[in-house]
Amino acid sequence: MTLHTALIKTEEEKISSEKAKKFILSEKNGAESIFVGRVRNENSGKKVTAVTYDVHDQAVIKSFQSICNDAKSKFDKSASIFLEHAKGYVSVGEISILIAVSSGHRDEAFKICRYILEEIKHKSPIWKKEHYIEGNEEWLPGYSLRPKEEIK
Amino acid sequence: MEIQLKLYGSSKMLSDKEILNVELPNNSNIEKLRIALSKIISQKYLKNNLQNLSKTAAFFSQEDEIINDNYKLKDKELISIIPPIGGG
Repeated sequence: MTLHTALIKTEEEKISSEKAKKFILSEKNGAESIFVGRVRNENSGKKVTAVTYDVHDQAVIKSFQSICNDAKSKFDKSASIFLEHAKGYVSVGEISILIAVSSGHRDEAFKICRYILEEIKHKSPIWKKEHYIEGNEEWLPGYSLRPKEEIK
Repeated sequence: MEIQLKLYGSSKMLSDKEILNVELPNNSNIEKLRIALSKIISQKYLKNNLQNLSKTAAFFSQEDEIINDNYKLKDKELISIIPPIGGG
């Protein structure tokens, strides 16, 4: 198996880079690239305490698999990919996304990692609600999936 | 007719429940749903930065496929509203 994708309910489990490293380990692949995204404590001058991730479970998993398979076809069919994204309440400093890739060579490993991250932002139905130190909260703007020809 | 709208992201501000029931004229399509949503938002939720939601949202069928503005809705059909996304 060379592909693992999952949504992790953070109240029950944490995203683990150790699990990712084990999964992508392969004697065929000499290069590994790991991207870890964490919730940061500031956004646009506001002090952030946590982010709640809302997700459309089935559509997200479908999109993750499609994006990862596209990445393999584009860059390296032998790549191993581990992708997990948090859902639910994630405090500052905790992991929101982890992408781990092993590939034959470093260039492909870096490219696959970057490709997956950028595609998720434009294709996977995931939403962020930021929680601020003052106690208020806000849904963040994002990328519309509405067919472009319909937007007047 | 009435449709059931499963709420995600910022559209969750429209209701405390996961599903919002929306009354529509018979034989409505997604375009009519956008008009109905726009009215609901302008009557009740202007302060919540939802003004553009009826224009920017996409909609998913129960098969998780994007449905376009001409899609004919059925009475009691369950569809998902997909506000602009931003994971990662």
